[in-house]
Amino acid sequence: MSNTFLELEELALVEKPEKKKPLGPLFWICVGWIVLNIFGAIFANVLPLQNPLFQDYGTINAGPSLHHLFGTDDIGRDIFSRIVFGSRVSITVGFGSMVIGFGIGAPLGMLAAFRRGRFDTIVTTFMYILLAFPAIIATIAVLSFWTPRSVFKIILVIGLASVPLVYRVIRTATLSVATKDYVVAAKVQGATDRRILMKELLPNIAPIGISFLLIGVATVIALEGTLAFLGLSVVVPTPSWGNMINESRTVLQQNPWLAIFPSLALCFFLLSLNFIGDRLRSHFDVTEVKL
Amino acid sequence: MLRYVIRRILMLIGIIFVISIGSFFLIHLLPGNITAVIEGPGASPENQAKLYKLLGLNRPIYEQYFVWINNILHGNLGTSFISQTSVATTIGNALPIDLEMMFLSQILAFAAAIPMAMRSARKPDGIVDRFFSAGSFTMLSVPPFIVVILLVLFVTYKLGIPHTGPSSYVSLRADWIGNLESMALPAITLALGSFVVYFRVLRSDLIATLQEEFITMARSKGISQRRIMWRHAFRPSSVALLGAAGVNIGGLLAGGFVVQYLLNIPGLGYTLITSINTDDYLLVQGIVLVVSVGVVLINFIFDFIINIVDPRISRE
Amino acid sequence: MSVTPEKLLVVNDLSTTFATAGGPLPAVANVSFDLTRNETIGIVGESGSGKTVLSRTIMGLQPRTNVAVTGSVLLNGNEMVGTAESVKRGLWGTEVAMVFQDPMTSLNPVMRIGKQIDETLRVRLGMSKQDAKARAIELLELVGIPSPSQRYDAFPGQLSGGMRQRVVIAIALACSPKLLMADEPTTGLDVTIQAQILNLLDELKERLHMSVVLVTHDLGVVATRTSRIVVMYAGRIVEIGSTRDVFANHRMPYTRALLESSPKVSNASHTRLITIPGRPPNLLKLTQGCSFAPRCAYASDKCHQERPELQGADQPGHSFACWNPLPTTRGDSAS
Repeated sequence: MSNTFLELEELALVEKPEKKKPLGPLFWICVGWIVLNIFGAIFANVLPLQNPLFQDYGTINAGPSLHHLFGTDDIGRDIFSRIVFGSRVSITVGFGSMVIGFGIGAPLGMLAAFRRGRFDTIVTTFMYILLAFPAIIATIAVLSFWTPRSVFKIILVIGLASVPLVYRVIRTATLSVATKDYVVAAKVQGATDRRILMKELLPNIAPIGISFLLIGVATVIALEGTLAFLGLSVVVPTPSWGNMINESRTVLQQNPWLAIFPSLALCFFLLSLNFIGDRLRSHFDVTEVKL
Repeated sequence: MLRYVIRRILMLIGIIFVISIGSFFLIHLLPGNITAVIEGPGASPENQAKLYKLLGLNRPIYEQYFVWINNILHGNLGTSFISQTSVATTIGNALPIDLEMMFLSQILAFAAAIPMAMRSARKPDGIVDRFFSAGSFTMLSVPPFIVVILLVLFVTYKLGIPHTGPSSYVSLRADWIGNLESMALPAITLALGSFVVYFRVLRSDLIATLQEEFITMARSKGISQRRIMWRHAFRPSSVALLGAAGVNIGGLLAGGFVVQYLLNIPGLGYTLITSINTDDYLLVQGIVLVVSVGVVLINFIFDFIINIVDPRISRE
Repeated sequence: MSVTPEKLLVVNDLSTTFATAGGPLPAVANVSFDLTRNETIGIVGESGSGKTVLSRTIMGLQPRTNVAVTGSVLLNGNEMVGTAESVKRGLWGTEVAMVFQDPMTSLNPVMRIGKQIDETLRVRLGMSKQDAKARAIELLELVGIPSPSQRYDAFPGQLSGGMRQRVVIAIALACSPKLLMADEPTTGLDVTIQAQILNLLDELKERLHMSVVLVTHDLGVVATRTSRIVVMYAGRIVEIGSTRDVFANHRMPYTRALLESSPKVSNASHTRLITIPGRPPNLLKLTQGCSFAPRCAYASDKCHQERPELQGADQPGHSFACWNPLPTTRGDSAS
């Protein structure tokens, strides 16, 4: 704080003086959208939706109408209802695997960065070797052998595959905080490790963690879509955004809506997550500089 | 530099070892009687004997690994019990298609990302930059399997261009113009995904580099803006770009799988998915092994390129 | 002040204001001074006094956006304020060149140093590849780099700080500029290297008939090397005069504070250095009065309310901006 002025001049010299970015209305719209989707996924059973599995052979490949808001698919199922039910798989897989990834990767990363020494060296080397392993290929490989597939297995495999990535992000973030003066000061004053980890480190890396978590969820949901496309996700006829899009490709010409609506649902959900994550990161980065 | 190289090579060997172990254990994830599952409908005592020879299934597990790895080091990935063809041959036929697809898509992605990032970075937060940045951010949330569906919808059905539709793959040897036409759609799809990442990474790095003192110094020499961008700013900014390109390979491959599957292009991805669907496990295992080692090798090469581009890295 | 042929540089009422999120930031305000050929002038002040911004604005090297420059800078008859970058480019290197503050950051880390010198020669002077290389090696030799033809292929990271600063000087000298702006050329260097670099600059100045603007926070650096000194505070000139007048006859309390805070060889060992209390003002929140008033022992009410303009002292060319100037030191003013 002693040379505020110097910082100001430097700030002025670097062309882009930025103050703390406000989160902005778009941020809250995105949050609202995510909340709405999660709400829909949880209460899909009790909402007044049509049966997502009911095949109405009278209206096949229909366009949007009042009765079928987004139209029907090639065997007469209601697309809107299937999208709402399909969000269950995507959202569960997305958040579930990140819970596993963070549950293992985050504590390890924090501990390694805090303890340093041999523990850090061993875990980090191991994680970097795993990191070089193409996670997507590994996921595809394991899921193609580990039959029969279920949502739980998918979550477990993607979650474990994400551990090295989470570990790296959290370790780097912790390292940058752990060397700050106030943490060193707390150490010198004899604070317990537990206290430093919980009171000093955790609150400071939480924003980075949360923003990475949201972007991670978006990535996993896209990955689930890819897996569904490859026939490696949940078994049909359970709807998921990915296998709806997959099913649509055979009737693309007759019924483009079948591809467009689930694609939009997926993209808007991902876009919202990415936007929230990105905003949070830039919002908190600036605060960190101000410290 | 030498120490760095040795360290990297040791690391590479370690990683390939881990990959081989992982691939080896894959078949043990199969439920039930492994030999019966792998042989599928072709199960017979004769085939079982072949499989035992290939995988050493009657021996202890660590010996099994040595039997297996020994076979692989001799180029023997086994013979599919489903299609009766050698796994190595099948992979050898499919691989060039993936390489061509990746090569084309990366050329396109770089050709678009570099000039656009330079344009954006020159005036951060200007109109052009805002437009490019918002566009690329949106694109970030559109996975390749959606891009390809939308492209097919648009190009084939709306514009009525016939050659780019599904099931029109033409091999490079047969007719290279036809081949490029059939490769256009997959290459563009994959390029879009890579382009978004490259643009964003290069843009933010360029903005940071342009604030460096050596850029002001270069300016003070009285050289042109174009020269400053290309000669002084681009190279130090391209480290993250190359890093992103290396990391991107895995995702690019997975995206390529989907695109191939959808457009019926008989590359590794198409082969992988059909073999998953026909329970051709030996072929799946072979593809997984080849692809993983390939990705790791490409990453390794990228590391070296980065080192040549920025001599600071190996020195630390 | 009118343009006279012997004036290489005429700065008139120059102001540089940055647009920041916190409002306009006047980094340089109403600065005027001039420089004759073969003269060395010193610009001194604490960090943040605007001297770096001033030296860049004189060159026309300020950032391209979020900045407003008013006033006039005539460099060998060429107006630098409001001039298109393409025109200034034709003056940079040949008319004026800059030695940057920190040789650790001012050289491109991924470009061989030879290439960084060549570039100027080839682009600006249109030399052939071979000629440029030969000349670059000559320049490296000129700035005292041992075995220059080998160093030609080195990356900046392979050289020490002092060597790098010599390379920076070689680049600045490549097109034989008439004016050399040296912006704290020794701040980033070890004390033992500092004198070497300063002496090198002195020697080159004589040999190549250049004028030099030497920017520094260290009055000790300018004492023997300049003919005149400009003292800056909060973006303004607070005292200007011949080196002798500024050292012996300064009237502004800030100049005295600066002098007292720099170590002198003549002091007995363990002499306590006097530090200036407080810190430089926030330029976003300047008051109407003298910017130094909050830290000044002599400040009166007037100092807080009204800003003093530069006024002439006894000696021609010596002016200061102060309501309560220090008394003239006896004897010295007569000489």
